[in-house]
Amino acid sequence: MSGGSQSIHTGRATFGRTLFVCGFLLLLLVLVLLIASVVGSQRLPLASSLCALAGKTNCGLSSEQQAILFDIRLPRILLAGAVGMSLATAGAGYQALLRNPLAEPYLLGVSNGAAVGTMTALVFFGAHEWSRPVMAFAGALLATFVVYRLARGRTGTTPERLILAGVIVTTFLSSAIVFITTLMDATRIRSFTFWLLGDLSGTTTSMLIVAMVAAGVGVGFLIANARSLNLMMLGERDAFDLGVEVRRVRLTVFVAASLLVGASVASSGSVGYVGLVVPHLVRLSFGSDNRVVIAASALAGAAFVIVADTLARTIIAPRELPVGAITALIGAPLFIFLLKRG
Amino acid sequence: MKYTFSKSRSYRCFTTLLLAAALVFDFACWKRDTKVPLAGIGSMRTVTDDAGRQVTVPVHIDRIVSLAPNLTEIVYAIGAGAQLVGNTEYCDYPPEAKHVAKIGDTMHPSIERIIALKPQIVMVSTASQLEAFTKQLAEQKISVYVTDPHSLEEVFHSITTLGDLLCQHDRAAAVVADLRRRADLVEAAIKRVKPVSVFYQVSGEPLYTIGRDAYLTDLVRRAGGVSVTADVPGAFFLYSDEAALAARPEAIILPTGGSMGSANATVAASLRNSPAALNNRVHKINDDHLSRPGPRLVDGLEELARALHPEAFK
Repeated sequence: MSGGSQSIHTGRATFGRTLFVCGFLLLLLVLVLLIASVVGSQRLPLASSLCALAGKTNCGLSSEQQAILFDIRLPRILLAGAVGMSLATAGAGYQALLRNPLAEPYLLGVSNGAAVGTMTALVFFGAHEWSRPVMAFAGALLATFVVYRLARGRTGTTPERLILAGVIVTTFLSSAIVFITTLMDATRIRSFTFWLLGDLSGTTTSMLIVAMVAAGVGVGFLIANARSLNLMMLGERDAFDLGVEVRRVRLTVFVAASLLVGASVASSGSVGYVGLVVPHLVRLSFGSDNRVVIAASALAGAAFVIVADTLARTIIAPRELPVGAITALIGAPLFIFLLKRG
Repeated sequence: MKYTFSKSRSYRCFTTLLLAAALVFDFACWKRDTKVPLAGIGSMRTVTDDAGRQVTVPVHIDRIVSLAPNLTEIVYAIGAGAQLVGNTEYCDYPPEAKHVAKIGDTMHPSIERIIALKPQIVMVSTASQLEAFTKQLAEQKISVYVTDPHSLEEVFHSITTLGDLLCQHDRAAAVVADLRRRADLVEAAIKRVKPVSVFYQVSGEPLYTIGRDAYLTDLVRRAGGVSVTADVPGAFFLYSDEAALAARPEAIILPTGGSMGSANATVAASLRNSPAALNNRVHKINDDHLSRPGPRLVDGLEELARALHPEAFK
């Protein structure tokens, strides 16, 4: 794809510009958060909700409205934010490291690796909730390394080779998912079909904590390596000559991205296209300095998935759609548009 | 809108048709009883299934494959168990059903095994199962009959029509009469109670429930409850956590146990602060009695009514 070399160039950003971009996106995220928390299948009084969200008591919400806002809606929005942040940043990380604009957790098979891990945990250690994110992380990491190994030829990694490797790993893991599904009893299969598409309903507190901690840690590590990633976009050899510890950076980025994807998938299934669409939009709007791209993708990704999930839980309310269906419906056409324009 | 099936025009029309059909069936079955050999086109008859399809079946059906546990239970209840040559992994009741050749599970039946069993009729429980293999079975001259009940009355209707289809008219009528008597007893018992608002949790995470088109919505109503999602279009679907809590259900039904094992044994996290959960009105009911629209659905009705209105059954 010809747009790749054009969109991934190391246009440096000043500190002031980074601050401006992140400030703008942070404002946007807060706005989205507020809107999402006052919209839902149940209409809550706007003023009272905002008052309660500001942390005041006696806002005139009934105990039930209070429960809807704080026990159901807000955790779900926070999970959507953490998942969006994780997937978008992981996508940005893979794209920078692999110098490939199409690298995305879903397309590389990393999401499927995490899904296989989660399902294995469910089938074999169903009672231990903590085994899910751990196995998902392991699955994501394994899939990442397999794809990377497959993609590395004698002449190095080419974008085409990488995507082909991703396709092979994805289809292999999809078959593994089908196989595991047949091991599960029928009553659970339907909920899994939804989960595979990405579903944020039924959030548990422990899963929310896992997703948020993983998002914080993963994004932190990626931002810390953003400067090295900028240099590595010149080519790994040149980066090495410039003093970048290429192997360490690569390992850090792989592990951090796998952690982000693993935690997201364990808590909400495979929400597709986030890691592809968000970094692309960010690069188009703010240039391709990874220090900006990674931080901005984190904020924009959170906002994107929150918006998508708000649509998922309101458009056919009181029934719901899985959020993955919405991100794909928004993501795929947007991606085609970007591809045509690029 | 209150829609009462028994008073509607379609009901009258339906009973007339049923009477006519019963006469035809009786005649056909009578021929069987008198051992009059029938040959050629005369030995076939055409019936209409719940999906509105015209199904041509032999007058004498000796080989049946059932693709759903509720249909297997109906076939045994009306005394046609001996004709059942194949059923699914889930068909575990009555115990004899376990020893019938298995053709896979409800969603993934093996077409080869079905054909190898040479059934004259394959029974499926929802139209969604149809697409996959109807054509292949049609090529083998195997008829597919669909049942799709949306209320207890329609479950009785399924039993009656299967009775006609399998030449067990009297037996089926007796089964339905007995079930109807028990359902009437429940109705009499809960006559004076105030209906309880109910959330029916099909699964907790993600939250699935029943809607307008589910026979379970009718069953809950007959048990002296009113499903808080009774007006939502659809039969089974993913439902909003907050809408479920906001509906303030007085009771929550957890279909669990039976062949479901320990799945769905806890209330969804979002409903832990609902009036039902706070007042300990969470009722676990054997899933096999609720999720299989067959003869045991009346067991489910009785258990449901007793759980919702224990005072009415003292």
